[in-house]
Amino acid sequence: MNDDMFNIGSVCTSQQCEKGLANKVAMRWIDAHGSCTDYTFGDLERHSNCFANVLAYLGVGKSDIVFTFLPKMPEQFFAFLGTLKAQAICGTLFSNFGEDALRDRLGDSGAVGIITRKSLYKKISRIRHQLPALRFIILVDGDDDPATGVFSYARLMSEASDEYTVQPTSPDTPSVLHYTSGSTGKPKGVLHRHGSLQSQKATTQDVLGLTADDIFWCTADQGWVTGTSYGIIGPWSLGVTQVHYGGGYDAQTWMNLLATEKITVWYSAPTALRMLMREDETIFTGADLSALRSIFSVGEPLNPEVIAWSQRLLKHDIYDTWFQTETGAIMIPNRPGIPVRPGSMGKPVDGIVPAILADDGSPVPDGMQGNLCIKTGWPSMFITFLNNESAYNSKFKDGWYYTGDTAYRDSDGYYWFMGRSDDVINTAGHLISPFEVESALLEIEEVAESGVIGAPDDLLFEKVVAFVNLHERFEPTKDLEIKIRLHVSNRASSIATPQEIIFCESIPKNKSGKIMRRVLKARYLGEDPGDTSTLEI
Amino acid sequence: MTTVETLNQIFKMVFDDDSIQIRPEMTANEVDGWDSLSHVNLITTIEAKFNIRFTQKELLKQRNVGDLITNIDLKLAS
Repeated sequence: MNDDMFNIGSVCTSQQCEKGLANKVAMRWIDAHGSCTDYTFGDLERHSNCFANVLAYLGVGKSDIVFTFLPKMPEQFFAFLGTLKAQAICGTLFSNFGEDALRDRLGDSGAVGIITRKSLYKKISRIRHQLPALRFIILVDGDDDPATGVFSYARLMSEASDEYTVQPTSPDTPSVLHYTSGSTGKPKGVLHRHGSLQSQKATTQDVLGLTADDIFWCTADQGWVTGTSYGIIGPWSLGVTQVHYGGGYDAQTWMNLLATEKITVWYSAPTALRMLMREDETIFTGADLSALRSIFSVGEPLNPEVIAWSQRLLKHDIYDTWFQTETGAIMIPNRPGIPVRPGSMGKPVDGIVPAILADDGSPVPDGMQGNLCIKTGWPSMFITFLNNESAYNSKFKDGWYYTGDTAYRDSDGYYWFMGRSDDVINTAGHLISPFEVESALLEIEEVAESGVIGAPDDLLFEKVVAFVNLHERFEPTKDLEIKIRLHVSNRASSIATPQEIIFCESIPKNKSGKIMRRVLKARYLGEDPGDTSTLEI
Repeated sequence: MTTVETLNQIFKMVFDDDSIQIRPEMTANEVDGWDSLSHVNLITTIEAKFNIRFTQKELLKQRNVGDLITNIDLKLAS
């Protein structure tokens, strides 16, 4: 295999054209108003080549970091592929991130550039002075402003050549960067490599079952790993046509899309599926889903009720899949050919060796809960936490990657998710650090201290619950509650917004000042808090 | 202030964007950041500021800003 065979940007575009697919539709883009534009693999090749040349013109070198900060739109895909062709690292940012979340990610990574649009650029401009490494901003809908390092996408692309020669790219060349939350400290930059393609391609074939004639729809935003691994890389590396929709959640629109676009394989999230369950049943009984072959889900555990609902109304099983930002590709899924055990994670894909281990590294017998670990060495294993090698190393022991999830394996080899081994909150499939929410809360004048936990929720799997202690001179009010919600939403992101705010007299901490979230959670759930001998009253 | 003016202020606050000008036909697809989670912020804020409460049925039927305005005015009039 030639070295350039590993370049993700090249594999998803040039190689598909070389295979004779230049005129095949790669992306049917449907905007929020329903207007449709088809982009062939030849179009993807030209647009991404132009963007790679734009980066060269702007002085971006190998391993420089460039972010996309866009809602789902064609330019997002061209920029992603072009950045990888240039062997720069492409980070993707969820378009609902607020200033704090952006500063943490752009600042830590030392990103040199970002592509965004005017309405989102406002957030960047407010923190720009804190981002000394950020040299340029490309606006997909704006004009040049050289004094501030702002460039017009339209102008740059129109002046760039649509031919680009991808340099030999080894599998270990860094590729994609996603930030993920831990229970302590700032979010960590999970760095992947071009060699991850091997896992993404294999699982797209073997788990999602995509073939050349399929029409695939992955609803995930490109700000998250599912959106890049399966909304870009996996399908296009196999020459599969994807539908991408620029609108938000709407049950009727989604059913219409599945029917009119003749989607054959659909990949979505449990929270979205649970939202569909709350809709009028006639939306589903009246939908023509005859083209649909498989439905997959990812993000958080899929409750058996959703599968039963889908069997009844959509006439399909839903195959839940498990992976993480760090794993880069699906590790343990349900899939066609293996009987679904509703509520289980499924069984590992070929080449992936999971184990349930105790804290001391010893194997835990079937049926017993322990740390879910994966034997190291799979192709899409992350290569580092950017600027945090010690945190990266702490995730590995004796050849095993410790996922931070707890699970058990049954006697038939199915894995069952049980929870997190840390305080990280999984809300609507996104991991939220309680530390990040607590930090945002402390920026509010009225807040003296806070403690944040995840609590079970019927729709979101877990909801963010904030215990808030106010300074003495302030009283809890409805207006203050709204202020708190909006502050977290606008500074961190909408997904980090506390769904419940509990005003309290104090936050339990241990003698070294660490917030005892375990005690808060027990208090919230009405359970025994366990050992509180270290509690500082 | 009229319902529309108050609602416009709420939109600016919820979506942290002083340039928002609401229109009856405006939908979530036209406002950056208007996703299902920020929609909860929007509804919570509207309910608090207007001192009203939407039913689940009303929330499911609201398709655009115009539907919101109609629901708010009906509740304020009753």
